[in-house]
Amino acid sequence: MLNFAPTEEQEEIRQLAQSVAIEQLRLQGRSAEKRGDISPELMKTLTQTGLTTPFPEEYGGSGALEALTYTLIAEELGFGDGAQAMNIIGSLMGPLTVLLAGDTNQQHHYIAPFCDAQQGHLQRGSLAFAERTGGYSVGEISATIRSQDGDYILNGRKRDVLHGERSSPRVVLVRIEGTSGTEGLCALMVPLDGAGVRINHDEGKLGLIAAPSASFAFENATVSATCVLGKPGNSGVIRSATLYNILRAGVACGMARAALEYAKDYAKGRIAFGRPIVSYQGIAFMIAEMAMKLDAARLLTWSAATSWERGFDNTALVQEAEAAQFQSVKIAKSATIDAVQILGGAGFIQDHPVEMWMRNAAVME
Amino acid sequence: MIDFTLSKSQGAARDYAHQVAMEEMRPISLECDRTEKIPDSFFWNMQRRFWAGAAGQARMQAQEEEEKQDNVLSILSQEEMAWGDAALSTAIPGPGLAAPPILSQGTPEQQMKFLGPYMDGQLHWGALALTEPGIGSDVAGMSTTAVLEGDEWVLNGHKHYITNGARADLVVTFATIDKNLGREGIRPFVVPQGTPGFVVGRIEEKMGLRASQTAELIFENCRIPKDHLLSGRESSKKAGFKAAMGTLDATRPMVGALAVGIARAAYETTCQWVQQELPKGFPSHKRREIEQELEETRQELEMARLLVWRAAWMADRRIPNSKEASICKAYAGGLVMKVTAAGVRITAPGENSESRQLLQKWFRDAKVFDIFEGTAQIQRLVIARRLFPEVDIP
Repeated sequence: MLNFAPTEEQEEIRQLAQSVAIEQLRLQGRSAEKRGDISPELMKTLTQTGLTTPFPEEYGGSGALEALTYTLIAEELGFGDGAQAMNIIGSLMGPLTVLLAGDTNQQHHYIAPFCDAQQGHLQRGSLAFAERTGGYSVGEISATIRSQDGDYILNGRKRDVLHGERSSPRVVLVRIEGTSGTEGLCALMVPLDGAGVRINHDEGKLGLIAAPSASFAFENATVSATCVLGKPGNSGVIRSATLYNILRAGVACGMARAALEYAKDYAKGRIAFGRPIVSYQGIAFMIAEMAMKLDAARLLTWSAATSWERGFDNTALVQEAEAAQFQSVKIAKSATIDAVQILGGAGFIQDHPVEMWMRNAAVME
Repeated sequence: MIDFTLSKSQGAARDYAHQVAMEEMRPISLECDRTEKIPDSFFWNMQRRFWAGAAGQARMQAQEEEEKQDNVLSILSQEEMAWGDAALSTAIPGPGLAAPPILSQGTPEQQMKFLGPYMDGQLHWGALALTEPGIGSDVAGMSTTAVLEGDEWVLNGHKHYITNGARADLVVTFATIDKNLGREGIRPFVVPQGTPGFVVGRIEEKMGLRASQTAELIFENCRIPKDHLLSGRESSKKAGFKAAMGTLDATRPMVGALAVGIARAAYETTCQWVQQELPKGFPSHKRREIEQELEETRQELEMARLLVWRAAWMADRRIPNSKEASICKAYAGGLVMKVTAAGVRITAPGENSESRQLLQKWFRDAKVFDIFEGTAQIQRLVIARRLFPEVDIP
């Protein structure tokens, strides 16, 4: 039955995430960009709140993930600072993929370290999705594996892999040679070095600088069969890829909301020709448009998250999750560009965060 | 808990409306549009279908499910009806747009008196008269006047663009009791058909929604009983204006739902055309571009529908929804124009088939969805004013 209200519990978690986002992520946006990473202290705080350990309690986590709840968290983090939010989500997708697609041994081995009270906040995971020839769409995955003498031979290239250099687990989405679409997708873990593996740190990025990333190139790299998560082609891989898209959509909605709220505050306070600039329809309509499109994208994202939770039809889920991602990133891009426009000259100056947000949204593609 | 699945009664209402749209509307759609006429058989069929059978069952089920969901059930049906034919769906017998102000501002006695006759199984319509030749969304400038003389209100003025105005059994007419009060002087009055001094003027010829009746209404010393003023529930000065605006909060999601219905019809028909009627030798890279565009359209349709559902769901829960109602109407109103225009453009190379004729009709129908119940610009103004309650946005 139709319902648009989060549960009380979801609302509490959302508020917790919002307070961290406003009090920490937002304030550290610039310093994280300068450092090129999120601060370890902040990661420690997040681990303590349980927001970054949505794993089963048997592994020491704060409880299994509910997609919609986590989508709400992702939006709040993105509202705080998009780059640090992607840093957090990008890392999380490593162990989450192990949880969704891996077997029990793999889960124990790779998830428990993230929940460690002392060292957990220093752990990073990664999930390599997008390639040189495509975006965040499983149909566009063209990196392949084929079996050979009990091992797998890996070929292909991946781009913009958050934490790709220093992660464990370092998960890569590939497909079994000869498959297409949503069929034959596999998740496997690759070592940092080895014959045929080349991992390069991304330098001089336009945006999301606070989320370090790397590019992968595999040329007939040999990967042990034990590195494949679960059975090759298991549906957990699609669950992981769609979850990544849904959470990316959540962060993008947060980025758009940050731009909207910042532009709103500025437009209320900035006086021109004796009136707040928002009292001019040229500005007011831009803001109304941002609010309208953000609501639309958020509902699409929520809808994909509830479908993920129901989880029966993988083909429909892929379409919904990719639609949510596409539309949310689209509004994040346009809203951040419009926010800079509304701030005018001030938007171009780095005293205000909107120019950083505009660069962050632009590289979500 | 957030949930986008329909309950049994919601699904039933939608399925039933879809069946009606397919069986009663689509077959006569192009002909009614061409002739600007609707056969009586359509009215009786709709009367029969909606006062019996599955619609009644859906209503029973809804009562069992307990939560109030009139608005949600209504918009679910509206989308399907507009998928069939938006003009015909405006002409379905019933109190129509007259109902919301009577329900929200009428006393229980007034509701019984004015809405009771609609339950007798005969053909009845209702209408809402707000727009005047000089005023659209700016209701404060209303020039139709109401003056109390003894036990009667005397109405004078001129209304136009009134849907079902000539066939309505009663017209809820907005008039000012004191021009100096601006929008606070506006009150809703119930004017029955046949009241002396109440004259139907011309019926407009339109670009789209041609089968829908759009009438001019003239009031010349039109006298109605004192108790035909709808402000029984609230005695505050703003009641009249609130009735007018409250009506819009309820009807904007419905207009949004109609827009989504047309847009969906155009989307589906364009998809079918690409699959079945694409001319031989059409370049494959162009076909891929079209398919990409249609996929984005599908996503936008989904977003428009969710925005409409949200606004209606809020109305059922009595959560203030002015902003959300305007958002869904503005989004869907813009989208339907975009989708129908794309349909006309994409199918341009084709033969003159029925799917092309339908697309061209929907293209003509679509434009008004960005105009009536508040233009695209008015919706953005409403949204902005709600976002900035403390700022005066003129």
